[in-house]
Amino acid sequence: MSAGFPAKDIILICPWSAGGSTDTISRTLVKNAKKYFGVNVNVVNKTGGMGAIGMGAVATARPDGYTVGMITFQLSTYRLMGLAKLSYRDFSLIQLVNQSPAAISVAADSKWKTLKQVMDYPKKNPGIVTVGHSGAGGAWHLAIASIATQNNVQFNYVPFDGAAPTRTALIGGHIDVATTGIDEMLQLYKAGKVWILAVNNLVRHPLFPEVPTIEEAGFPNPHPILDWRGLAAPKGVPKDRMEVLIKGFKKCFDDPEFRKLAKELGLPLVYKDPKGFEEFLKGMEETLEPALKSVGLLKPME
Amino acid sequence: MGCALLIPFTFGLPPVQGLLMLLGIFCGGIYGGSISGILIRTPGTPSAAAATLLDGYPLSQKGMAGKAIGMSTIASFCGGTTGAIIMTFLSPQIAKIGLKFGPPEFCALAVFGLGMIITISGRSILKGIISAIFGLMITTIGFDPLSGVPRFTFGSQNLLGGVTFVPALIGLFGYAQVFRNIEKILVLPPVKSKVENILPKFREIRSTLKTIFKSALMGTFIGSIPGTGCDVAAFITYGEAKRSSKHPEKFGTGILEGVAAPEAGNNAATGGAMIPMLTLGIPGDAVTAVLLGALTIHGLQPGPLLFRDHLDIIYPIFAGMIMAQFILLIVGLSGARVFARLINVDRRILTPIIFFLCVVGSYAMRFSFFDVGLSLIIGIIAYFMEYYGYPVSPILLALILGPMAEQNLRRSLIISHGDPLIFFTRPISTAFITLAVIVIITSYYRIKRAAEREAHRISIDRERDEKNEETEI
Repeated sequence: MSAGFPAKDIILICPWSAGGSTDTISRTLVKNAKKYFGVNVNVVNKTGGMGAIGMGAVATARPDGYTVGMITFQLSTYRLMGLAKLSYRDFSLIQLVNQSPAAISVAADSKWKTLKQVMDYPKKNPGIVTVGHSGAGGAWHLAIASIATQNNVQFNYVPFDGAAPTRTALIGGHIDVATTGIDEMLQLYKAGKVWILAVNNLVRHPLFPEVPTIEEAGFPNPHPILDWRGLAAPKGVPKDRMEVLIKGFKKCFDDPEFRKLAKELGLPLVYKDPKGFEEFLKGMEETLEPALKSVGLLKPME
Repeated sequence: MGCALLIPFTFGLPPVQGLLMLLGIFCGGIYGGSISGILIRTPGTPSAAAATLLDGYPLSQKGMAGKAIGMSTIASFCGGTTGAIIMTFLSPQIAKIGLKFGPPEFCALAVFGLGMIITISGRSILKGIISAIFGLMITTIGFDPLSGVPRFTFGSQNLLGGVTFVPALIGLFGYAQVFRNIEKILVLPPVKSKVENILPKFREIRSTLKTIFKSALMGTFIGSIPGTGCDVAAFITYGEAKRSSKHPEKFGTGILEGVAAPEAGNNAATGGAMIPMLTLGIPGDAVTAVLLGALTIHGLQPGPLLFRDHLDIIYPIFAGMIMAQFILLIVGLSGARVFARLINVDRRILTPIIFFLCVVGSYAMRFSFFDVGLSLIIGIIAYFMEYYGYPVSPILLALILGPMAEQNLRRSLIISHGDPLIFFTRPISTAFITLAVIVIITSYYRIKRAAEREAHRISIDRERDEKNEETEI
């Protein structure tokens, strides 16, 4: 243990609002933090600016180790889309918490039963198949767009504001296909309301063992775009304190209660240490750049 | 906001208790927000009470604050109970109707809602429309989820999320009221609230019953459409009550029906908003989105399976929603006397307190000083707009419905490849557009005729007065 750190409660800034999934994950993660840090870790929601306000607040916080924060997928796109001068380079990374793959789903009564049928149809009828996703430039938009571009398929993209309205539109029959996080479809899938054609990942999802990967469905995609969440501290936190944070949060991450919740949510937990996390984020930007370009949203900032 | 703040407290509680606590806050908040709306013209709950203050505040200025609170309590109780009962017995059926709403239907519904501008504009419909357009322009600020491009943010990260609701609301009503109070702090004699007159008379309640139950049914239905909540319900029910009233000109001057309709509507919408959340896992509005998170924290996934696997949770939720209405009735009626006294506090003391609460409220939503400044600026604009006779309520309505109208208009046109006929080939959307046209035209003429009648009566009165004066001479 580093001398005297932590001597007071640690603040964990969540850039998304209370009750959302990032908030749920943050709060469950630090529920038993006292056991591992000796102090409490308190979640504070600092929302707005599509997460840029909260993540920016972490990046510019006093680097004494008492302020850390959740960073999420959007951090990979701010700079590339010209939204904010913020990227993973502005943080001391602590760890990766989870990676969620996209699910490509249709309503249960859809005429299409395989991804191949969906991808073949627009070849003869370009732009007819409507694909709903949860917002332009979001992980799920880019995930399907990059698959479509790689295979020369033209979809008619219908952006919604979040996963919930996308789901509603799919089961209401207002769109043909939806891309969302696979965990976001868990309930509707179990209830037999939607049919998941493929999971956009290299491996199958433990809660959806019968859903094929994108490659098994016939469309190999070695660098799938994944949604991710992780923990980070401001740059400049003393090394010994970073050690304490990294070790402590790893223990929180291994806490059985946190594991149990993640399993129920269908959230695939993936741990990466700071170095591995940095490599992952670097690779993510490299994958995102062409994907953003293909949908005309690439406006990199200096 | 109450729900979001208190979620962490429900962590330690067993799931049913935790959920019931949040449900209580949800129902109580929607009701309680109207008290400050009536007394100091500042809605305590984002949006839901903004329609109530249109008649509630004039009532309290007439010294009838107690009666207004009493009326709002009774209407809330009737509305809330209706909503909760409908939720208990008809959830799965109503959820199916909600699913029929796609982008064109949402757009048509938003247009229908925007039609209410006519009824909340006050004296000049033209000025009301100008206010609404100003509001619609504000809603275009921020990141656009459809194109992925930030609009009118001038590179500011703080504006990426747009002008958020709470700071706007505090500015439009809270600060504007503070400035108006300062203006007349020494000029006007303080309002004396007649505290003995707490309960509306039975006769008065009976005359509003029809309005209450019509509003309650409309409110439940509007709440049950995923994405529209208590705020939309409040404005639409207010508008409809005014349109169908025999004396539309009296709305806005402080009449009980103007309090009863939106209160019954928005409390009924609490039950309605729960329907898609419980049956489909789709939040009906912002608060149910928080409730959805609470359910997940407790390891329950709302959705079709909840009804099959967790009746032990579902039934207490139903019972709790109905119980909450009774508690609200008791607390509201017994507290009305105390609340109504607030109006008797000297303006010189009350005004700085409201000002302080405005600062705290705008900061606390997301711990942001930017929001404090933003709401202050909006407050200054709102003060001058009202000074020159431009009503601010249409701005609020535009803030609620603008994004819904704009996004769904564009979404529909994306689906139809630019063909506007999509709005007229689908029954629900055609129905709403037709309704919107009918409502706009009939309310315009009814209100205009009523105003003419009023003007006519005044001129007759004046002539008579003049004659009387002549004869006296």
